[in-house]
Amino acid sequence: MGLTPLSEWSGQIGELVIGATRTDGGTRSHAVTIGGERDLPYIGIPPSGHIPRVAYELTDDPSLWQSAAIRTIGDRAHDPSDWAAFAEKELQPDLIRLYLSSTRRRGFSDLSQIGKTVEAVLQATKLPLIIEGSNDPALDSSVFRKIGEAAEGERVLLGTAESGRYRSAAAAAMAYGHSLIAQSPIDINLAKQLNILLRETGLPHDRIAIDPYTGALGYGFEYSYSVMERIRYSALKGDTDLAMPLISSAADSLTVKEVREAEGGDADQAAVAWEMYSMLPATLAGASIVCVRHPLSIAGLKSAIASLWNGQKSVGV
Amino acid sequence: MPTVTFLPSFRKTEVAQGSTILEAAQKAGFHMNVVCGGQGKCGKCTVMVRSGETEFDREKFGNFFSRDEAGEGACLSCQTRVMGDVRVLIPEGSLVQEQQILIDTPGVPVELDPAVWKYALSLLPPTLDDPSPDLSRLLWGIEKKGGPKEGAIYAPLEVIRQIPKVLRESGWKITATVALVPGGYRLINVEKGNTTSHCYGAAVDLGTTTVVVYLRSLIDGSIVGIGSNYNRQISCGEDILSRVNYAKRGGLGKLQSLATESINAALTTASNSAGIDRDDIYEVVVAGNTIMTHILMGIDPAYMIEEPYVPVVRRHLTTAARRVGLAVGENSGLFIFPAVSDFIGGDIIADILASGMTETNDISLLIDIGTNFEVVLGNRDWMFACAGAAGPALEGGEVLFGMRANPGAIEQVSLDLDTLEPSYRTIRNQKPKGLCGSGLIDLLAELLRACVIDRTGRINPMISHERIREGRQVPEFVVAWRDETSIGKEIVITENDIKALIMSKASILAACQTLMNQAGIERSAISRIYFSGAFGNYINKDHAIMIGLIPEVPVDRVITMGNGAIAGANIALLNRKKKRILDEIARKIAYIELNADPSFMDEYTGSCFLPHTDLSLFPGVERMLDQCRIRRVSP
Repeated sequence: MGLTPLSEWSGQIGELVIGATRTDGGTRSHAVTIGGERDLPYIGIPPSGHIPRVAYELTDDPSLWQSAAIRTIGDRAHDPSDWAAFAEKELQPDLIRLYLSSTRRRGFSDLSQIGKTVEAVLQATKLPLIIEGSNDPALDSSVFRKIGEAAEGERVLLGTAESGRYRSAAAAAMAYGHSLIAQSPIDINLAKQLNILLRETGLPHDRIAIDPYTGALGYGFEYSYSVMERIRYSALKGDTDLAMPLISSAADSLTVKEVREAEGGDADQAAVAWEMYSMLPATLAGASIVCVRHPLSIAGLKSAIASLWNGQKSVGV
Repeated sequence: MPTVTFLPSFRKTEVAQGSTILEAAQKAGFHMNVVCGGQGKCGKCTVMVRSGETEFDREKFGNFFSRDEAGEGACLSCQTRVMGDVRVLIPEGSLVQEQQILIDTPGVPVELDPAVWKYALSLLPPTLDDPSPDLSRLLWGIEKKGGPKEGAIYAPLEVIRQIPKVLRESGWKITATVALVPGGYRLINVEKGNTTSHCYGAAVDLGTTTVVVYLRSLIDGSIVGIGSNYNRQISCGEDILSRVNYAKRGGLGKLQSLATESINAALTTASNSAGIDRDDIYEVVVAGNTIMTHILMGIDPAYMIEEPYVPVVRRHLTTAARRVGLAVGENSGLFIFPAVSDFIGGDIIADILASGMTETNDISLLIDIGTNFEVVLGNRDWMFACAGAAGPALEGGEVLFGMRANPGAIEQVSLDLDTLEPSYRTIRNQKPKGLCGSGLIDLLAELLRACVIDRTGRINPMISHERIREGRQVPEFVVAWRDETSIGKEIVITENDIKALIMSKASILAACQTLMNQAGIERSAISRIYFSGAFGNYINKDHAIMIGLIPEVPVDRVITMGNGAIAGANIALLNRKKKRILDEIARKIAYIELNADPSFMDEYTGSCFLPHTDLSLFPGVERMLDQCRIRRVSP
């Protein structure tokens, strides 16, 4: 017994493909398609569109990463390709999101290393990739070009464009055939504005994922939830400038006081709980990709999403 | 007491030691530019101390000046104390300048039906056989001439005292003036001989910044003289809040007398140019914002700016004009337009009256942009109004090279879409000094059309052009090179300026949208958009729509009515029946408090985009911009 959709929506979320297999000119083992929904999340059997996916976030500079996230990773954390290979084999996320955090260090200049890191990670894992560049307008142009170039043909999801700095990221995405994350600060109007700006640079709508910015649970998550919901409603009502899949990452989850101050085994439990209880509701609000940093969050989240998707009781969570 | 000598005029004044230079300048009769009311916040009252002993905290206020300026002794006059004899140079920019003040009034046809009448009477002197009193004779005379019945006219004591002498000295040939006031007919003047042709009234727009006076003949309705003047309260603070704060600090009396002084000065200009005696002005009708009219009447405005923001009166006010200090006929009446709320004042009621929007079933949107903005939506049956602060950007404030509409201000700009070369026109064709509101709106629209800025107002850094460059902090566009200007430097518009302009226009558009949502109407239902206020008259309507300052409607539906407040005051002066409907208009308006409306913030964020985040609200603009983009991509 499932629910019958109550509403007839006129709009549909666009589809976004991440990753290119050999036939598409890339080296990924498979591509991930998200979006395509014609209704609210998890409505109908099967629900419309594609199942929400879980991305695992890692970095090329662990000194800037939360300790809760790397406690169980060990030395692999110092080599993003090792880390990615381990993740694919042991943690089995749907996607890997690589943060080139080193570019965010003061005085960063080693562009060639960026290219090498991206190539090494592409070698180490066959999962589709999300790659995060700098967040400095002065560096954007060269960093995004470097990433774009190194990952050419792999159809990665590039991050992140903001309304104050979107041209370089969009240019790299278009030049090298990638897609782009458009991030705006928890406001439906600002999300839409950025999508319009990107459209006007020539980036097609089916290569944009909206990141409405997600606050951690208890630290503003409900605002993000409500904005995601509103974006989904507008898209289903026919607003094509908002009809892109949503990506959500409550990256602050591992730095909230409750997680930071938990001790020993409780610390992992608290970290996983905080990520799960932010990211599962995010899929209920409409997120197509949810991102986590704690290795132990992945399996539980995938299983919970699958059971909601299939309309069955959850197992093993 | 120390003497302060002001250069370049060498005007001198003496002040107590420890007085500020600003106080000295005001005492010497200079109208200093004091936007913040003398709190050291705006940096507009800069002077150069040439010699002498002063006290000024250079560290605290240093960021107002360049190193060069500091080297020349630049100080804020409001924060500099005179400690001995000093010589001070007042740069031209620190003085309130002659401004393009709007004095046109739309030719609204109005039937002449004033509230003042003059009767030339030739009376029979009393005899032993006919010993009726002087007053009765006079009033019967009026009745015989078709005026009100003898018993219906009230004669105040001060007029009665004059009657016996005037009657006898004139050989019983006199002119009596009767006015209709709230209490009924009133005998307000008795003169020798026939003066019926000397019967005038004054319509006054008492604005926060300017005062405009129209003198009209109440015999034939013609305009006999026009005068305008700065509101001299500017020396106590440029914006309305600083005025109220000044009043709170015990300055109500000074503000009141400055208000009447300003009106009197404009009245004098107008009557001198018309060659008439101010004593022949028998009625004064004033439209002004709520705070201005409260101050003029000497009513404390302090509580209006505090929660829950209530004015003291919401109906029209009448009194004798002389009681508040207006230099007109001794018993002349003063009529003040009613206000709706603290932010919707008599000036807006005058706008509404002048637009005629309450006389039709068609829905109109009226926007008054001045120091603040007010928006009214409605027709004969219903009306919503709201008010807000648009920020000073549209009037040239908070914009690096922004200025008021003074001579030398760039008031029109267009860009060559291929070469990005601007062509501009300045007020009085002087060399450019800066950009005023209409010029800024043109520039914003043209930069958008030329794809120099994106819809959030950011300059596209990928265009390589000599006029587009990285400024001191943010990117900027050069409007005029140094050798074109009269200020010895280039005139640019920066990304921050553009942001401020977008925020200003967004609050106005969001206010319009909020009222439309409240009324449940779409832009297609709007049959007229009226622009009132000095700003609106010079504005390029297409550009106003292009940047999303107002909703998109066919441009011929946009009507710039000029100074609606003075137009409304004129109408009420010429036709007393119109005065009667004013209170009703004021009552009919439902005031929407934008801050209390949860959708306003959403509308505002949506409007912080050129022209609006919901592009379907501006289909015409979108078609045009699409073409511009195509042109840009394939030159």
